[in-house]
Amino acid sequence: MNNVTHIVQNVRQAPWRIQRQWIGLFLLVLVLSAMVAGIYLNVTAQAALAGRAIQLLKDEISDNQRINADLETQLADLTSTEAMEARALALGFRPVQPEDITYVVVPGYVPKSPVDMSDETEHTFDSPLTPEYTQSLFDWLVERLTTPSGVTGGPR
Amino acid sequence: MRGQFAGRYLTLAFLLGIFGTGIIFQLVRIQTSPEAQAILVDVGPYTGAWRTYYPARGEIYDRNGNLLAGNQTVYEVGVTLSEIDDPHSIALATSVYLGLDYDEVYEQITDPPEGIFYIVLTDYITPDRADQLIQLQEVLLNDPSGQSLDGLVFQPHLQRSYPEGSLVSNVVGFVTREGRGYYGIEEKYNNLLAGVPVTVWVPSDPNRAEELPDIPPGATLILTIDREIQAATEDVLDSSIQTYGADSGTIIVMDPQTGEILSMATTPRMDPNHYSDYATIFPGETPYNRAISQAYEPGSVMKIFTMAGALDSGTVTPETTMFDSGVIWVGGWDIHNWDGGAWGYQTMTGCLQHSLNVCLAWVAVEMGNDNFYAYFENFGFGHLTGIDLAGEAPGRLKRPGDGDWYQVDLGTNAFGQGIAATPIQVIAAASAIANQGRMVSPHVLYAMVQNGQQHNMSTQIIGRPISTETARTLTAMLAVSLQSESSLALVPGYSLAGKTGTAQIPTVGGYDLHQTNASFVGWGPVDDPQFLVYIWLERPTASPWASEVAAPVFRQMVERLVVLMNIPPDAIRLATNGQ
Repeated sequence: MNNVTHIVQNVRQAPWRIQRQWIGLFLLVLVLSAMVAGIYLNVTAQAALAGRAIQLLKDEISDNQRINADLETQLADLTSTEAMEARALALGFRPVQPEDITYVVVPGYVPKSPVDMSDETEHTFDSPLTPEYTQSLFDWLVERLTTPSGVTGGPR
Repeated sequence: MRGQFAGRYLTLAFLLGIFGTGIIFQLVRIQTSPEAQAILVDVGPYTGAWRTYYPARGEIYDRNGNLLAGNQTVYEVGVTLSEIDDPHSIALATSVYLGLDYDEVYEQITDPPEGIFYIVLTDYITPDRADQLIQLQEVLLNDPSGQSLDGLVFQPHLQRSYPEGSLVSNVVGFVTREGRGYYGIEEKYNNLLAGVPVTVWVPSDPNRAEELPDIPPGATLILTIDREIQAATEDVLDSSIQTYGADSGTIIVMDPQTGEILSMATTPRMDPNHYSDYATIFPGETPYNRAISQAYEPGSVMKIFTMAGALDSGTVTPETTMFDSGVIWVGGWDIHNWDGGAWGYQTMTGCLQHSLNVCLAWVAVEMGNDNFYAYFENFGFGHLTGIDLAGEAPGRLKRPGDGDWYQVDLGTNAFGQGIAATPIQVIAAASAIANQGRMVSPHVLYAMVQNGQQHNMSTQIIGRPISTETARTLTAMLAVSLQSESSLALVPGYSLAGKTGTAQIPTVGGYDLHQTNASFVGWGPVDDPQFLVYIWLERPTASPWASEVAAPVFRQMVERLVVLMNIPPDAIRLATNGQ
């Protein structure tokens, strides 16, 4: 029994073994540091790429908005009163006179009302992502705590 | 064996430690050195830039969604000095294609001021002209002869554009290249349309991309104007001015039940795409929009307001009779009829039908100063109507107590002399008669669209100067007057009410004996008024009488309106109302 204890102590206290432990520890720290540095560089690089992409997309959005505005104005030029009147006259139409008109009763006819330019799509847009992909853990926890269990339970 | 190498290991570890520490020390030293600070200062401008973002100016539409004012792409042409290879070619190309001065451009780009990296050569270049240069730049990209347009930069941006040209320009106004709106809607709603410019630091660092600002565009405005009615109105006005030899003219079409201005045409008009012509087209004090900015003595159209007050106050009824001897003495002055004649016994309807000054002056005297002026105040004369267009004039209503008011003014004001009103004031006041006593606020803005939400303007009742009963009675009297007189204003099939106004033009020493202002205010159909029209022809030469020049213009206008507004003749409309 004493021999065994003695051997174990010798093995533990062997200088080369202690050195190897230190080297191992150092290498572990080194590898971990390298991993952290690698991950940091990777994330930073990706963030930079994403940032650059955002910059480009914002420029693209700005360009598209400008082009849209320009196209809309071009369209308005083509459909201006003067242009449409000239086109209609060229096609053989003439301005209508009161005596040309026959009035017909149309059941359910709704007179023309002024334009409505409110953007309905903006308010009905639903994200395709489920809450699992958009909620933080805290959001989820708050939702669970504030939602009555009966509502979320559903039929079983 | 291991002990034999232990010393070497330790030495090596020590040296590596020293080396590592040295690196860290150098890193810290370099980062904190004065040189590093100087470099940071030097590169500061390259880490981003202060930029002012001007939001795209909001668009303006008519009530049916037709674009009246939009934005189009134009180009700023500049040079990045560090990228120039061939200044001669740049100077030559810009002089040929853009009309710039060769020597000036060459000097600018070869001898720029200290610290300048970019120079703007010109701006607001149309896309077709810019395209020519862009294509030439691409052709010369790898030109073996060494000619190059490298360094030439084309920066697209938006500029105000008016697709309808001069149509409705008096209402819309215009915007200068500096982005400021002048006149009409462009000036009145300049802040809404222009949005809020934002000056921010824009970092070049992509890691700070989230700091890029989102600049919302200016609000989009929808007007009450109907493009088709406006075009018809301008067409009728222009042809009338030519036919009757008038100096200028104004026509306003309003929905009397809501106050929505459906069209507003005046002369002169200007294509706002060429606003630099402003001084030529509007010399001196020529108003940009006579309909709101020029007050004048409207003449006999004012008789309807005198009669409205008299009926409403119980001073007279339609059947009240007065004897017209051809002259009435008010405040020491004689007042005569337009023809100088005496019309004998007349009912109030007859007074309106024959537009008798003596009769209306008598009515005003019967009402008394306080009563008469209280009604004119309530009709809004002498006050701004509050129409949402820049440049409205208040007109002038002299009142008892004013230094320049005399008792005779009571008599003359009754038939529209000695009082100055703008066309928009008269039509706003007339809305009370057409709209069962409710006077509506005239307005041009139908709705505002911002962030995808449309906010519609609501009808505003700005007063009830007369009762519903008075309004109905007077409308019936005016309708009968037109019918009895076989007025040129009548349109077969439609019941209309209205009144002409022939007004002498005041001069320094009295009134011009040869020139007049011819006006007409009318509405229809009388049982359910859909339109209220005001006509003003200034100094017509074909005839001085409104019944001969303004009344036919009203008829032409109504003939166009009933088609454009889908208003069937009364017989059909009333027959189908119950269905």
